[in-house]
Amino acid sequence: MEHFGSMLALAAPLGLGLAAVGSAYGIGRAVGSAMEAMGRQPEAAGKIQVAMIIGAAFIEALTIYALIAFFMAMGKLG
Amino acid sequence: MGLDLISRTLRTSAVILLIFLPFGIYYFGVYPTLAILSGAVWGFVNLIFLAQLVTTVIRPDKIDIRRAVGLGLIKFPLLYGSGYFLLTVKEFDPVHLLIGFSLFLAVIVLKMLGRAILGLDNKDGKTNKNLQGAL
Repeated sequence: MEHFGSMLALAAPLGLGLAAVGSAYGIGRAVGSAMEAMGRQPEAAGKIQVAMIIGAAFIEALTIYALIAFFMAMGKLG
Repeated sequence: MGLDLISRTLRTSAVILLIFLPFGIYYFGVYPTLAILSGAVWGFVNLIFLAQLVTTVIRPDKIDIRRAVGLGLIKFPLLYGSGYFLLTVKEFDPVHLLIGFSLFLAVIVLKMLGRAILGLDNKDGKTNKNLQGAL
């Protein structure tokens, strides 16, 4: 059981960090692609912005889920 | 599909939340319902600031740097700070916060699914028979 606690204490922050890195990469790619698309078609800016907002909201939600999972894991550690 | 989709999503989520509140308090208790409400408000605020930030920063014409920096300075500490605060409240179960936070995401998914099935974004205005058949 003590090994489980140690493993969890190691894995939870590591997982949260990985989730943050993944989200940052995802948002970065999304913003880059949105800027590129807007540069090609400035008249479609409204649609691209909405798609960007929805995509970013989902990516951010994943980070929040990771944060909540982290807190739940930390709660198990006591 | 314009920026009104975001405001309509917020309105629909708020209505769902208002309908849920009395039933939630009756069936699940005050704290779980308050946790769901707090999670939902957290999600709403996040979405509003995100929409403001994206429309300020990602645009083809000139960017208002001051506004963008201000929004960034408010949004990120507010989102993660308030999230941390909510998660540390002993009476709130993180799962309930998660349910509340996911409400607007579920509404967006259903709205987009509805638009895809009805073909509202199709140029020819035809409904999407394949999606309708799949459902």
